[in-house]
Amino acid sequence: MAGKTKHIGSIIAGSLLGGLEAKLDEDINVEGISVGRLIVVDGALNKFFCLLKDVSLEATNEDILLNPPRDDFSKMVHAGVNTFYKLSLQPMLITSQEPEAGDRPRPSTTVPPHFSPVCEATADDISLIFGEPGLTNPEIGSPIFMDVPVCLNLERFCKRSNAVFGKSGSGKSVLARMILGHLVKSDMAINLIFDMHGEYGWSATSEGSGLDDPSLRQLLGSKVAIFTVDADSPLYRKIRPDYDVQIPCGIIEIADLELAAGELGLTPAGIETMYRLHDAWGEGKWLAKFLAMDAGELSLVVEELKVNDQALGKLHRCLSRLKRLPFIKKEVADDTVARIMNEIRAGRHIVFQFGRFNSMLSYILVANILTRRLHRLYVDKTDSARAEGTEGPKPLVVTIEEAHKFLDPAVARQTIFGTIAREMRKYNMVLLLIDQRPSGIDDEILSQVGTRIIGELGDERDINAVLTGLPSQGTLKVLINNLEPRQFLLTGFALPMPVVIDAKEYGLFCDELRVGAGVIGDEIERRKSMDTLKASVFGDDEIRFD
Amino acid sequence: MSELSERIGEIIQVSTTRFLAQSDDLSVLPHFGSFIKTQSQGMNIYGLVFNVYETSIDPNRRAMAFGIERAELLRRQPQIAEFLKVEFEAVVIGFADAGYIRAYLPPFPPRIHSFVYPCDSREVIDLTEDLEFIRSVNALPGLPVEELAAASIRLAYAERGNDSAFLTRAGQEIAQLLKDEYEKARSIIRRISDGR
Repeated sequence: MAGKTKHIGSIIAGSLLGGLEAKLDEDINVEGISVGRLIVVDGALNKFFCLLKDVSLEATNEDILLNPPRDDFSKMVHAGVNTFYKLSLQPMLITSQEPEAGDRPRPSTTVPPHFSPVCEATADDISLIFGEPGLTNPEIGSPIFMDVPVCLNLERFCKRSNAVFGKSGSGKSVLARMILGHLVKSDMAINLIFDMHGEYGWSATSEGSGLDDPSLRQLLGSKVAIFTVDADSPLYRKIRPDYDVQIPCGIIEIADLELAAGELGLTPAGIETMYRLHDAWGEGKWLAKFLAMDAGELSLVVEELKVNDQALGKLHRCLSRLKRLPFIKKEVADDTVARIMNEIRAGRHIVFQFGRFNSMLSYILVANILTRRLHRLYVDKTDSARAEGTEGPKPLVVTIEEAHKFLDPAVARQTIFGTIAREMRKYNMVLLLIDQRPSGIDDEILSQVGTRIIGELGDERDINAVLTGLPSQGTLKVLINNLEPRQFLLTGFALPMPVVIDAKEYGLFCDELRVGAGVIGDEIERRKSMDTLKASVFGDDEIRFD
Repeated sequence: MSELSERIGEIIQVSTTRFLAQSDDLSVLPHFGSFIKTQSQGMNIYGLVFNVYETSIDPNRRAMAFGIERAELLRRQPQIAEFLKVEFEAVVIGFADAGYIRAYLPPFPPRIHSFVYPCDSREVIDLTEDLEFIRSVNALPGLPVEELAAASIRLAYAERGNDSAFLTRAGQEIAQLLKDEYEKARSIIRRISDGR
């Protein structure tokens, strides 16, 4: 994969803090140089890997600005002398010019000398930084304008909570599905995916073609188990879910209901009343008893417990919404959490679907209840494993969509998701947040996120939020502002340096997982031929300078 | 050294940076901005013609208007030619030393009564390989630098068979040499781009 080095300029100024400045060579067309590109500066002893953060027009002489050259010949001869283009680069990593075996690029702590040559990164540079594709280092895209794989180090990825941010239509679900697919295939961690919109199970509708894309179950077969609260949903005509989930009232805690206070319409007085009922009738029993009551019985409660009758009435009306969720039962024979633990022990990954009950209320309740109980189990198991000196439970990655609902500053301190995000992987459990509204997430949680995968974001507040706690925010902000659909900025723990990528074609991803056969195989072939056709019509994306 | 028949004049006044020559032939005027050479002490010294004038040989007597076309006048009164002379001034732009052309001032000026010859094509191309001589020309007072630079570049361009790459390079060098004098550079560049 040797790439020819293309000289595009030389360093003229800069600092480690403020970044480097380079003058673009006169024979390079500035329109072919776009922000976000990976640039290599050849120092005397080291190679500096930099991100292109800005391109600017400069003039050495005020007069030329007041009296600009008019014809093409004059513009051409003044270029590079009286007018020039300046590249602003952010040095990220350095590596020795003559690396020894095992040398990895390390964070840059100095700057290259004056007039060091500035080149475009070659395929070799990219693979030196991001490694060669492999099972635990899968390719998830290529740097913009380049056709070289950028790989995600899954081993590091699983060691922290991570996030995929992007507004709807930015392609975040597809990219998240690819990452989850690779996580499942590599078995680096067990995945529990709370799949609100039914995208990670059997198939998902592709926004581009309107056709159904194969999803995790279809691609990875029995490695993925589908749990659902709505077994009768039309989703399951093709494939039966592995487990029909029912939630007993007894395991719903007040904290779970508090988290869904907005969806249930609970008031502070209502929450107080719940605690009274809980204290009076006992944990695990009060909710079922309360929901079963009629108006007459409620007035007895008012007298017995000395609670406000209006607050009690309101609470009853609010909580009655739970009765409309058919998967919440008074009593359930089977324990879902135990089932999940069995699957995890068997090394199967779980996609938890909601079918037609994909309201925020059911999503929040179920995700919170199950994760809280799982976390408790994980804490016990990890602690006892530590005490006994044995291996703890398998690392678990919990994927939640609409993460801001769980990690809102007002509730993040109480919910289990806030706890998991903060304690990192102490108990072998991390989160993968998928969200389109990162500004709704608590800052403290955001700063704990290890790897951020950021797609197109419209709102300034969201952009500021995703950058919380990151170095070189100014540079990254420019990059985020320039993202197009299916382009992502990757930064954080699992990556040696930030990089803007074009996400991999989903068809190629499916092909790579190589579990598909029959219909899927045909679909993959169709997509591949579409990609080839696209390439032949539009040419490759490589920008040529002339 | 070129054949005697090619010579175009004889030097009648010199200084380190420029010389004055008298033309042999009234009918041929050296071109403004053309490259000329003279040999002195075994060394070719190159100059750029920046001023040409035709005048009476007697400084106390001016030529008079006759109201007749020049050709007709000279046919009717051929003696008039005997009272006129053509002189041209050149600025020294370089010299050839051991076969190499140096685009800077020679250690000594040419001598009076040395003959002056036009440069051949090879010499023009070598002299204009870089345009450093324009910097020296620009540094001398009282020269029409813009016109001179443009004229010499146009000539060199023609000698190169109208090679547009040369013209671009020349334009870039002008922009570089005169980058503190943008207006001057601009007017030269405008003049040479007209020649395309």
